[in-house]
Amino acid sequence: MPETADLSMELRFTEAYRRHYHAPIAIREAMCLREQFPSVLTAIQPGDLLAGRIQWGLVGFSPHNNPPESGYGYYCDERKIIRALEKSSVPFDQRERGFDMLHFWKKETSQALVEAAFDDRMKPYLFRDELEPLPFNYKPMVAQPIYRMAGVFVNYTKLLNLGIPGLVEELQSHQKAALDNGQDASLYEGMLIALQVFADSCQYYARHAQELADHAAEPAAKAGLQQISICLQNISCQPPETFREALQMSWLYTLMCGTLEMGRMDVYLGDFYVRDLERGILTKDDALALMRSLWRLINDQFREVDGRVIIGGRGRPNEANADRFALLAMETARTYGRAILPQLTLRFYKGMNPLLMEKATELIGEGHTYPLLYNDDVLIPSVQFAHDVPLEDAEQYVPLGCGEIVIDHMGFGTPSGALNMLKALEITLHNGRDPITGKQMGLQTGEFHDFRSFDDLWEAYKEQLRLFIEVLADHEELEYVITGKTAPYLFLSMLYDDCLPRNLGIFDGGVRYLGGSLESYGNVNAADSLTAIRQLVYDEKRFTPEQMLQALHANFEGFEHERRMMLDCPKYGNDDPDADGMLVELHNFLCNTIRDQRQRTNLHWYLDVIINNSQNTTLARWVGASADGRKAGMPMANANTPSGGSDKKGVTALLNSVVKPSPAIHAGAVQNIRFGRDLFTNQREKFDAILGTYFDKGGCQLMVTVINRGDLERALEQPEAYRDLFVRVGGFSARFVDLPRDVQVEILSRTTY
Amino acid sequence: MGIIFDVQRAALHDGPGLRTVVFLKGCPLCCVWCHNPESYSFHPQVSLNIERCRLCGACADACLWQAHIVSVGRHVINYELCDACGACIDACNYQALQIFGQQTTVDELMPEILADLDFYRASGGGVTFSGGEPMAQLYFTLALLKRCQDEGVHTCLDTSCYAPQDAFTRVLPYVDLFLIDYKATGSELHKQLTGVPNQTILSNLEYLYQENARIILRCPLVPGLNDQPDHLQAIAQLGIKYPNLQGIELMPYHNMGSGKRSRIGLPDHLSGLKTTSPDVIENWLTQIRQYGYDAIRVG
Repeated sequence: MPETADLSMELRFTEAYRRHYHAPIAIREAMCLREQFPSVLTAIQPGDLLAGRIQWGLVGFSPHNNPPESGYGYYCDERKIIRALEKSSVPFDQRERGFDMLHFWKKETSQALVEAAFDDRMKPYLFRDELEPLPFNYKPMVAQPIYRMAGVFVNYTKLLNLGIPGLVEELQSHQKAALDNGQDASLYEGMLIALQVFADSCQYYARHAQELADHAAEPAAKAGLQQISICLQNISCQPPETFREALQMSWLYTLMCGTLEMGRMDVYLGDFYVRDLERGILTKDDALALMRSLWRLINDQFREVDGRVIIGGRGRPNEANADRFALLAMETARTYGRAILPQLTLRFYKGMNPLLMEKATELIGEGHTYPLLYNDDVLIPSVQFAHDVPLEDAEQYVPLGCGEIVIDHMGFGTPSGALNMLKALEITLHNGRDPITGKQMGLQTGEFHDFRSFDDLWEAYKEQLRLFIEVLADHEELEYVITGKTAPYLFLSMLYDDCLPRNLGIFDGGVRYLGGSLESYGNVNAADSLTAIRQLVYDEKRFTPEQMLQALHANFEGFEHERRMMLDCPKYGNDDPDADGMLVELHNFLCNTIRDQRQRTNLHWYLDVIINNSQNTTLARWVGASADGRKAGMPMANANTPSGGSDKKGVTALLNSVVKPSPAIHAGAVQNIRFGRDLFTNQREKFDAILGTYFDKGGCQLMVTVINRGDLERALEQPEAYRDLFVRVGGFSARFVDLPRDVQVEILSRTTY
Repeated sequence: MGIIFDVQRAALHDGPGLRTVVFLKGCPLCCVWCHNPESYSFHPQVSLNIERCRLCGACADACLWQAHIVSVGRHVINYELCDACGACIDACNYQALQIFGQQTTVDELMPEILADLDFYRASGGGVTFSGGEPMAQLYFTLALLKRCQDEGVHTCLDTSCYAPQDAFTRVLPYVDLFLIDYKATGSELHKQLTGVPNQTILSNLEYLYQENARIILRCPLVPGLNDQPDHLQAIAQLGIKYPNLQGIELMPYHNMGSGKRSRIGLPDHLSGLKTTSPDVIENWLTQIRQYGYDAIRVG
């Protein structure tokens, strides 16, 4: 039986778009939203205490690429539609219209509109002609465009305080003022329609919950569903009054506006939570149950690199209540059990309620990877400088998905390009050619043997990087320009600062700060490779450039000795002045060059991010062997963390290295670190001292993993990658990987979690 | 100038707080259970990890002294011939060979020791000189201790106490905490297990205690070798005799060092001895408490 697919929503959506093709973009979007919702909302599942699940259509509208790989804004998932049409699993009457729809969106999706607008400088480097719908990161590109408007942090506080009626009132007053002044008021009209779509969706779920309740056999389930129904009924027509209503409203709005971020949850829910506790209409256990339901929904709906819930930090109006909610959120994470999401993020500063950090350490010690720790004392001044915003706005910084920092409901900055630093170095060693495909991928800056000194190579590398940075910055700007002309993103604009008074959509000049970021990958491998080249080729003259290339081209086959020498060169992460110095020099050039792009573009900020996700692996697949000793296709180091196993001097040396690159010239860097479990169970004060010292020395962020049995098993399999794993016994000198295999196995057998 | 075989940063178990442990090479004792056998000799030594060797023979080619014997399925080092020049280590592509023992100076070591100063201060940690036997390189150890004190780094000295008393008189002002091993009771058994009698050790312990040195006594215990009741009783009695000790810690035998002996050409005579089980440790603790010393703990 072929799977069945019903394209009726997609067809209605497309029809609405075409019918309003020449209407104001706000009206066109609102009409499309009306077809999309509540059609894509899916049923309440057994156990859900909150309504709100979504199955995005194959055609639709969403800022963030929902579903994955299908683009953003007005998107069309060609692959899935073609598959459905080819397998004839769609109703017969939809087939003909289905192909028509496919053809229509080919030139009309938001991504297609941006690609069509590429200028001549972008075309050769962003591979406009060869863009494939297949996972884009399988291509050996140095610079890659990213299509999405990620990092939506709407003003939940405003949403919850005003509720739908309050928002309607505000929009109507803006609408009236605009009309009185003879201005175009279509933006407000579109927003009012969108709000009605939101209210209708609340009522849709209220009816759905009531129907489920009517059919529920068990009294407890029936009562629960009735509660969901009443809750949704209430928020559809009045501002939320209880914690439950506030949670429900913020979740449903999150889903429908298409963001994958939950923002500063303690700021917008703290007061509701504490008020209900004090009124005695909510117990802590009730609240925990609701939160765990939210946790489940987030895990079901979001992908692993998204789903931030942010708690703690400066700039929270009612800090005492927010702290109580923050503790609830951490307790939720603790009792929910290990989960990929949400990425619970704790902002902290000196003088913050110490209970929060204690609770965070408790979680980490139990083996959770959350919360991620963000140091306000370093980050607020860094954001103030890097993003060029006043202190009170910097206090509202929020890390999105993988760690790119933007400003809560005031400053938008989607990462719209990825730069492969190691690939850029590889082509620099080949006069701008990619040795794998043989294609010219960058500038002709000379062959490796033409460089008379390391400085010549360094200058050539910088020239290549500058080109890709400029192209990606221009691409980011272009993406916003086209996006702004295409749609006002109504759900975003009505809750982003300055859009309403300016009567402009978020990407069309409405938002207070419109910035952007560039994701760089392979920074550490590139720096370590440069260190090795400088030492072996130029300083010690152990190889000629040709010999170095020969070894790299052979992927070290027959050049084991040369590889050994490259591996033995100093590596970042060991508090070594040469290796760390190279990384800092590269970091400064990269971050400053990217930051300077704001002078070439209209972006308020354009900043590097050095973050965590799988692209260190996927982008590395098409990079040949590198001079740091890494073999062809093998992963690059993750974020700002040393490459696997090259930090051999222990955690203090690692952290000393990590604080060397400046945090004030980029929009976020991620540090991963792992500790043995012993440190938490028996040596807690030493763990606290390690963390405290790191943050005092200027550490901005940390993601802590406690080593568990699985890590030790992997260490047995690939000892090279686990050189940082120490066996801690008094008076004994050894690293885990140096122990005889039988002893490793025995340690493993004793370690139980 | 001195010789060391390792520096470990962020050590957790050799004194208070986070510490950098400098392992000095060379020891007048030769404890049968030693888990750092590469510390016996005062000279650099080549170590062969046979699990990593691919029998390629590159080391044999590189060796001027023909100390490497590599043949089918077999690789041994003739230590009579080896002068630890390191040529084979450069030749090996598989990290099967390494050299233990690095000549170094106080000036070379200090930057690495001082790099973690912030971590020492936050955790109440510092530097620990271990070994080997640091007292066997008295002038080097003394110079390191003085420099550390000048720089405000807390110092621990991990020693067997097998050294002349006047050597301790000299280091005493610069050591914040002594970690002293108490290995066996009865001079004959001590000699059998460690290679030296124990009178000097006991008199140095007495001397340091009377001079108000801060001391933690550490007792390596190996099932079947030195865990006799009279030794456990003697441990308890030391605790009673020296009430101002900073503590007595048992160091139950673990076999993590077991592979190291064969790698440097020493017979592995304790092979097969397992890491001490928790039951045995609990039994030791009970006995020592029964002998009247309650403050006993596991290190």
